[in-house]
Amino acid sequence: MKREQSKKYLWLQRLRIFTQLLFFLLFFWLFLQTHYPGEDYLKTTVERFFHFDPLLLLTTLIASRVLFAALLLSLITLVATLLFGRFVCGWLCPLGAVHQFFSFIFKKTRWLKPKKDDRASLVPKYLILVLVLAASLLAVNLVGFLDPLSFLYRSFAVFISPLLNLGLSQSGNLAYLLGLKSLGQAASQAQGNLALNGLFQNALFIGGLFLAAILLNAWKERFWCRYLCPAGALLGLVSRFNLFQLEIDPEKCINCHLCSIHCQTNARPYPAEDWRSSECIYCETCAAICPTAAISFPLRLQATRMKGVDLNRRRLLLTSLTGLFLAPIFKISPARHRSHPALIRPPGAAPEPEFLARCVKCGECLKVCPTNALHPALTEAGPEGVWTPVLVPRIGYCEYYCSLCTQVCPTGAIRELTVEEKVTVKIGTAWVDKTRCLPYALGKPCIVCEEHCPVSPKAIQLVRVETLTPEGTVATNLAPFINVDTCIGCGICENKCVVMDLPAIRVSSIGEHRSSRNRLVLPAVEDQDRLRP
Amino acid sequence: MERRDFLKNIIVGGLALKLSPGLLAQPAWPELAVVEGESPAAITREALKVLGGMSKFVSRGDKVLIKPNIGWDRTPEMAACTNPEVVRALVEMSLEAGAKEVVVMDHTINQPKRCYTRSGIQDAARAAGARVLFTDEQRLKKMSLRGEWLKEWEVFQDFVEADKLINVPVAKVHSLSRVTLGLKNWLGAIGGNRNQLHQKIDQAVVDLGAFFKPTLTVLDAYRVLFRNGPQGGRVSDTRLQKTVVAGVDPVAVDAYGATFFEIKPQELTFLKLAQSRGLGKFELEKVRIEKRAV
Repeated sequence: MKREQSKKYLWLQRLRIFTQLLFFLLFFWLFLQTHYPGEDYLKTTVERFFHFDPLLLLTTLIASRVLFAALLLSLITLVATLLFGRFVCGWLCPLGAVHQFFSFIFKKTRWLKPKKDDRASLVPKYLILVLVLAASLLAVNLVGFLDPLSFLYRSFAVFISPLLNLGLSQSGNLAYLLGLKSLGQAASQAQGNLALNGLFQNALFIGGLFLAAILLNAWKERFWCRYLCPAGALLGLVSRFNLFQLEIDPEKCINCHLCSIHCQTNARPYPAEDWRSSECIYCETCAAICPTAAISFPLRLQATRMKGVDLNRRRLLLTSLTGLFLAPIFKISPARHRSHPALIRPPGAAPEPEFLARCVKCGECLKVCPTNALHPALTEAGPEGVWTPVLVPRIGYCEYYCSLCTQVCPTGAIRELTVEEKVTVKIGTAWVDKTRCLPYALGKPCIVCEEHCPVSPKAIQLVRVETLTPEGTVATNLAPFINVDTCIGCGICENKCVVMDLPAIRVSSIGEHRSSRNRLVLPAVEDQDRLRP
Repeated sequence: MERRDFLKNIIVGGLALKLSPGLLAQPAWPELAVVEGESPAAITREALKVLGGMSKFVSRGDKVLIKPNIGWDRTPEMAACTNPEVVRALVEMSLEAGAKEVVVMDHTINQPKRCYTRSGIQDAARAAGARVLFTDEQRLKKMSLRGEWLKEWEVFQDFVEADKLINVPVAKVHSLSRVTLGLKNWLGAIGGNRNQLHQKIDQAVVDLGAFFKPTLTVLDAYRVLFRNGPQGGRVSDTRLQKTVVAGVDPVAVDAYGATFFEIKPQELTFLKLAQSRGLGKFELEKVRIEKRAV
C-alpha cells in the first residue's frame, strides 16, 4: 500500500496552527490596547474575547439573575460548537494555544516529555463545570478561578505585564550604560505610552499558578484542556451533536496507533467506534499524522455517544450536591455581612453581592488602570472574592477624570460610567491619623494631601492647629481636615502622603455610594435619591 | 605691529567709542517683559521680542530643554498646567533661533501620559517640532545641589545636560508657599520623595532655583489659578489675566507673578531667600520692566 500522509489534512493542520497564532496575537494585541489610549474613552472593545465565552454567560446569568447583553455573543460560540464540535478549543482559544505550544515544546525535550499512555479519566472538567453551575444557582460565582480566558488574562495582567515593564526598563538601563541614548529613550517612551502596570499584590501567587498550569503540560499533553477546563467541558457537552465525525478507512488503516498516541486531548481516534467527539478539538493532528491518510472528518448527521467519558448520574448528583453545599460555606464568611475597610471597589462597581455574582476575576480593570491602583484581592472580599479587583491607595490612586475600568468590564460587574458620572461616585472616605500626621503629631508644616485632592472645592480643607512641643513652645501649622460629604475616596492623599510606611491619611471603604449599609452619615433628604446605589 | 602703534590704536579706538556711545554699546534691554493680549502665542512672541529676541538666548546648534508645568491631569481651561500655546510659541522660536533640538518634559504628579495628553502640551509642542519625552527613572542621578538645606537630591539628567534651559511655569496659588511660579516649578525636574520638600518648602524652592539656573523664565499668566491650587478643578477657580511675564532674572519674574494674586513680593519668604542667595531681585522698583499690549 502506498504510504502517504494526507495533503489536505496537513494543510488543515498548518491552517489551524496559523489560526491559533492569529487569535493569540489578537488576544495579546487587545491586552496591550487595554490602557489609557490618549482619549477619555476606549474605541476598541478590548474585552471582546470574553463576550464569546458561553460559560461566562451561563454562570453570571444564573448567579446574578441579570443578563448582560454583550455576553449573548457567546451564543454564536454555542451554535458553532453544535455544528462543528469543539473547534473553538483547538483553533481559537488563546489559552489552548499557549498549552498547545508548550506541549509541543515539551514533547521535543527529554525531561519534560509528557506521558503518552493516558488512561486517566477526562471527567474532572465536567465535574468542575457542574460544581461551578451548582454554586451559581445559589448566587456564588466561582467561574473566574478556572475560566480559561479569565485565567489567561489575569495571569497576563498581573504577572506578564509587570515582567514586560521590567524588561523595558532594564533594557533601557542597559542601553544607557552602553551609551545608546536614543535606544534608552525609546524604551522609556514605550514604557510611558504602553502604561504597563509594574506592581501587583498576589503577583507571585497568580503567576505561579500560571507557570504551574504550563508545567502540567509536561505531565500530560494539554493537561488543562483535558482535565480542568470548565469552558471546554461545556462545549464538550454541546459538541456531541456536531456535523463532522471522525472516520477511519479500514482499507487504509495499518493499526499503527499513531493517531491515538498523538491526540492532543486524548479523544481516542482509534478505533473510530471509540472516538470521543466531545473531547475532539479538531486539531487535525490525527488526520495529518496518519501515514496512510486513512483518517478523515466527513459530514455526518447523527449524534454520537459520549464514549469513555462516563458522566454517570451518581457522580453528577454528588457533584451538584457538593456545589450546593459549598455555596453556603462561602456565604457564612463575614465578608458578606460587614464591609472590609480595605475593600475599596472601582467606581461603578455594583453593590457587593451583585458584584461578586458578576465579577469573573478576569483582570481587565487591573490592566487598564493607569495608576496601577487596582489589585487582585486576597482576603479583603472573602473566599469567593479572591482576585476580584480592589483599590490599594498605597500603590496607586483613582485618577479623577478617568473612567477606564468601568469601560472594560466584560460582565457588567462594573457599570460603564462617563467621566462626568464617575467624578461624582464615592468609593470610600479618607481619614487623618493625627498620631502620624506631621502638623498634628510633630508640629511640622505639610499640606501634601490637601494639595493633591482633586475635588473642587477641596475635600481636604486646612485648619490651623497648635502642637505643644516638649520645649514648651507651640507650633502652629495648617493641618488637614476631611469633608466627608465631598471626599470621593480616590486615595491620592494616601498615595502621596509623605509618611511612607503607614500613611497618616488613609482611605477606607466607609461611605461608598454602592452600599446602603457601609454608610457613615445619612445623606440629606434631597441627596437620598441621588445617592441610592 | 609696533608697541607704539598698538597703544595708539587703543587710545584712538577707545576715544572713538567713548564719543559715540550708540556705535557698539548694547542698548539697555528691559529685564522684564510683561505683555498682555488675546493670543497666548502672540504675547509670548512679543515678550521675547521685548527681551531682545530668542536668538539672544538660544544659539545655533543648542540643545534646548523647555520645562513647562505638566503636573496635573487637567485640560488647559483649568489652568493647572502651562498653556500649550505658550509652550508651542517657545518651541517655534527656539527652532527659529537655530536650536538643534528642543525637548519638552516634566516629571508629572498625576499619571504622565494623561497629563501630557490632556494638558494639550504634548500635541502643541510636537506640532511645533519639539520632542516631548516622559521623564525616565533610569536618567535619575543623585547630585550635589550645594543648597542651604538640600545637599543632594535625585535629578533627571536631561535638565542638567541641556545647553539652554527655559522654565515655563504657570501662575497658581498654593496653600503652603502661597503661590507657585517659576522657582517652585523645578520640583518637576527632580525625582525622589518630592513631597518631603514641603516641610521647608521656601528653602527647598530656593535651593532648587540656585541649582538649575534657567537661561530664561517665561511665566504663563494667561489664565491664572487663584483658588483650589495647585490644580483647581473648575473653570471658576481660574481668572483670565492674559499676560506673559518673561525675563532672565527668575526672582524678578516670580516677584511680578505674585502681584497677580495681590501679594506683595516682600511678603513671600522664598523670594527674600532667593534674593539674599543672589539669584535675582524681587524689588520690582529696581527692575527695568517694559509692558506692552498686543
